[in-house]
Amino acid sequence: MTTRFDRRSVLKMGGGLLAASALLPARAMAQQTAINYWHTFTSQSEFAGLEDVMKLFAAAHPDIAVTQENIPNPEFMAKITAAVVSGSRPDSTMVSSERVADLVAMGGLTDLTDRIAAWERRGDFDDSRFASITKDGKVYGIPAFTFVDWMYYRKDWFDEAGLAPPTTYAEFRDAAIKLTDPAKGRFGFGMRGGAGGQSYVINIMEGFGAKLIQDDGSISLDRDKAIEAVDWWSGLLIKDGAVPPSAPNDGFRQIMEAFQTGQTAMLWHHTGSFQDNSKLLKAGVEFATAAIPAGPVNRVSRLGYAYNTVTKPETIDASWEWIKFWGEPDAAVAFLEKTGYFPASTVAAQDERISGNPLYKPAADTLGFGIPAPSFAGFAGWSESVVLPAFQRVLIKEATPEQAVDEMIDGLAQAIA
Amino acid sequence: MVEARISYPPPLTLWDRINPVRMIGELSETRYWMYLLLIPSALLITAVVIYPTLYGMQMSFREMRLNRPDLGTGWVGLKHYQRMLTDPIFWVSLRNTAVWVTSAIALEFLIGLIAALALNRNLPGSKVLAVLILLPYFLPNVVAGHMWALMLDPRLGVINDLLVKIGWLEGYKAWFADPSTAMAAAIVVEAWHSFPFFTLLILAGLKGIPSDLYKAADIDGAGPFAQLRLITLPMLKTIIAAAVILRVIGLVNSPDLLLILTSGGPGRSTQVLSLYAFQTAYKDFNFGYAGALSVVMFILLMGFAWAYVRLSKVNED
Repeated sequence: MTTRFDRRSVLKMGGGLLAASALLPARAMAQQTAINYWHTFTSQSEFAGLEDVMKLFAAAHPDIAVTQENIPNPEFMAKITAAVVSGSRPDSTMVSSERVADLVAMGGLTDLTDRIAAWERRGDFDDSRFASITKDGKVYGIPAFTFVDWMYYRKDWFDEAGLAPPTTYAEFRDAAIKLTDPAKGRFGFGMRGGAGGQSYVINIMEGFGAKLIQDDGSISLDRDKAIEAVDWWSGLLIKDGAVPPSAPNDGFRQIMEAFQTGQTAMLWHHTGSFQDNSKLLKAGVEFATAAIPAGPVNRVSRLGYAYNTVTKPETIDASWEWIKFWGEPDAAVAFLEKTGYFPASTVAAQDERISGNPLYKPAADTLGFGIPAPSFAGFAGWSESVVLPAFQRVLIKEATPEQAVDEMIDGLAQAIA
Repeated sequence: MVEARISYPPPLTLWDRINPVRMIGELSETRYWMYLLLIPSALLITAVVIYPTLYGMQMSFREMRLNRPDLGTGWVGLKHYQRMLTDPIFWVSLRNTAVWVTSAIALEFLIGLIAALALNRNLPGSKVLAVLILLPYFLPNVVAGHMWALMLDPRLGVINDLLVKIGWLEGYKAWFADPSTAMAAAIVVEAWHSFPFFTLLILAGLKGIPSDLYKAADIDGAGPFAQLRLITLPMLKTIIAAAVILRVIGLVNSPDLLLILTSGGPGRSTQVLSLYAFQTAYKDFNFGYAGALSVVMFILLMGFAWAYVRLSKVNED
């Protein structure tokens, strides 16, 4: 028996098949959850690291599609604040330690306490890693990687001058003065007195004993010790001439360029710039790494954490899978290999690819004595809008260290009022 | 006898009465049509200009610190305005704003006028030159800012290199790190970026001036400067007034170039009101005080525009 198809039947079947085929990808797409991820990565190496992590995640979680969105660091707080206030939040966001308090206060982060407590990799992380992301007993994120503060120095210049890498502020200043040679266009140290320079001022003040957060939890600044610190730090420019005269406006780009182009002998930054420095200077020959020198009262070497957080509760399940994936050793090491950022996970940090590299030793040592930056609501604004301009005024001889510290103390009182 | 026939339109059916096309057609012949046409733009302006402005104004009378929810968002009256009176940063910012806007406008106008007069001569290649001169204005502030930050860089900047080579500088200078040059350097960047705005408007104005006026002035023995002073500038008065007001509004309200070049530093030497308001809102999260700063800027701009129009006597023509 033969079946006859008339033209109308063929058209009907074709239409039906077309409709069915249109549904197939829609069903497949429906099974994949799409989330976006805001971050502040800037350099090529950071993007390469992120790309690697995303590839590993896509292989492990084909059901979740992550779209990364770069938000320039200086604009980050403005964008995230606007997103939180207007209800157009990203699904997940990278947040650095010093911004956590403000974001929690404005209700921008989702409480993840229960999920983190039940997380199978929670034991890989030291409790201290969660200190800055915990507010009032609630945990709001997972440490993605660590900013370990350390020092890069021109090994060849130090060897030439017969100097050892400094271990105290006094030795550091001495080396900076000795390695300064304006005739050769060389300065001992690349001071960050422009954008981002406030954290160095706060660290130096704490190094001299002027801690911001007291043992009883109160917030204050010891005037005399802070003055001594500001005087010493600014003295590197205005008394010793051991830093480039452009220091009052030098931000990240300028201090990096100065070191990489052979204009400064020492650079304080975190491990994240290791790969970028290695591209222009020969690691272990032209430059080496050391721990940040100890101050006269405290050794202040910061361990900052970039946390991955969930900012939109509606897609929390997919975002949770994404942010916890950063705690996997393979993801952490892949990111380190592209960027130099240290893993936050203790297990990942013990990986042979890290512990076997002597240039990483100062960073591994710093993990033992490093401390997190102070964190309280209003800290970021105070440090950026008050501490930095006040310190710059000393650098340009518009104010004395006493006047600058008084300005900082007044500003602090307003910030926490 | 011829019977006069009057034809009446057929009576309206129910459909005719409710037909929207017919109703709109009838409305278009009344004086209410104008209001109907204005409704979409009025709604849009209300949504994106009037409502946010009023909201910002009422915010300035409230406690609005996003990182301090414990303080609430209660009414605080004139608290923020009173604080402004004793806030030294506000006064420094106000002074810097006046310097920034006045100097930048003067420089932009001067360069823009010279460029427009040159282009108006229709010399060979002037069309290509006109496009080239307009190029800086097409660049976004962010791009222009970063480009000039690199060109004026104390280590790698080409400007320093050139000035050293021609002997104007002994060594490389950190323009943005020195308070005596930071504002001036930023003004030069701003003038470079925005002078084409004046060029464009003045050139359009120049095209509209009848050439007979210049011929008559020539016969009367007026030289080029006298012609500029007595014919060109008076004839361009309205255009210049509009351009100045628009640029002042743009300069007072936009912190982006200074944000990139100096962030208001070193110290507070390039801190202007718009930058201060931006930092207060997005770094200190104090939207109440930032709102008050913005309201003051708004009032200053309104006052300036009113005074400028009155003083330049634009409306008298």
